[in-house]
Amino acid sequence: MVTKSEEDQLNRLESQVDNGGGGEWEYLCLVRKLKVRRPDKVLKHGLAILNDFKKRSALGTEDWTLCEQVAIAAMDCQCLDVAKDCIKVLRKRFPDSKRVGRLEGMLLEAKGLWAEAEKAYSSFLEDNPFDQVIHKRRVAVAKAQGNISTAIECLNKYLDTFMADNDAWRELAEIYVSLQMYKQAAFCYEELILSQPTNPLYHIAYADVLYTNGGIENLQAAKKYYASAINLTGGKNQRALFGVCLCTSAIGQLSKGRNKDDKESPELQALAVAALEKDYKQGAPDKLPLLTSTLKSLRVSS
Amino acid sequence: MRFGFAIGLFGVVILSHAAYSTVQYRGLLKIMEEEFSGPPLNVVAELLVGLVLCTWAALTVPGKFLSIHPDSEENRIVSLPDNMDFMIFNHRGRVLPSQLDLKLKH
Repeated sequence: MVTKSEEDQLNRLESQVDNGGGGEWEYLCLVRKLKVRRPDKVLKHGLAILNDFKKRSALGTEDWTLCEQVAIAAMDCQCLDVAKDCIKVLRKRFPDSKRVGRLEGMLLEAKGLWAEAEKAYSSFLEDNPFDQVIHKRRVAVAKAQGNISTAIECLNKYLDTFMADNDAWRELAEIYVSLQMYKQAAFCYEELILSQPTNPLYHIAYADVLYTNGGIENLQAAKKYYASAINLTGGKNQRALFGVCLCTSAIGQLSKGRNKDDKESPELQALAVAALEKDYKQGAPDKLPLLTSTLKSLRVSS
Repeated sequence: MRFGFAIGLFGVVILSHAAYSTVQYRGLLKIMEEEFSGPPLNVVAELLVGLVLCTWAALTVPGKFLSIHPDSEENRIVSLPDNMDFMIFNHRGRVLPSQLDLKLKH
């Protein structure tokens, strides 16, 4: 989970290394810790460190981790020679390592040799059928080839064994959303919220799926989840604020024909609108009239 | 920071002195065969002074306190980590020319 202070630190370090101000190793460690994807920068600065003998020996034993990180970044940037060199160096240093074997499999994937990659991963799984990362790479191979149904099958089988893996649940939810299977996606997001209830982004994603599904109960549940996301982020997440406004107006539209029970208090929408207007006045004051007219049209139609 | 540390040390010394005087006072009471109802007033005053000094030192020596609210400005979660385990290399960046002529020197 990337918190605001960590994001600020990452941006600051990124601008610092881009302008040649040093601190590359710190930046690379932060990227590794936060698990963000910055292949071009990692490749450029990591390779600079690896090629400089003085800086490399200053790292001690950590330079193998850096080698692995640079290899993956090189594969992401399609610089396959650099990746091959890094993996060769790693293989020479760690001849019997599963981790290096996994990198070799990923290199086959990056080259587009899906069958060889699949064969390599299956042989790894024969040795150790409980290797989580290899299972996930197989799903990635299926996804990269475009066999979404195979990917879903593999992922479901993986989740039967390893039910606590949040990344896998998240991946499955995103695949289902891309296929518009919203009920199944909602199930996946429910699992995620159960395991990490204080993460507001899962609440927002779940509320998005419920809102897309439609129907009055789903809309009411979506509104509750947007409200809980506002609670968990201290009101700073604009997506949740907009979500509350949209849900209220959609509920109002759907229940226009019925007699209004009106147990829904209009306070929540009023507060969300006030918070949005304050944020826009601070952040983007020239867009404020656009915002007010949009919100007014939402309120009028409900 | 040094000053806070010194103050803390001084507070601990005062507290241990108060403990020692209470023990001595009890010994005295045993000789005089009276009940021990509580430490004498000056020891109580010494205890309060030691408490204040130690508390002040404990609050200033560790430095800046971090926020523990999950919804505070520093702690709120802004983005999820990119799912690196399921990363695929078959993306649009594949057809972009790699402008950098990079090689690993070995």
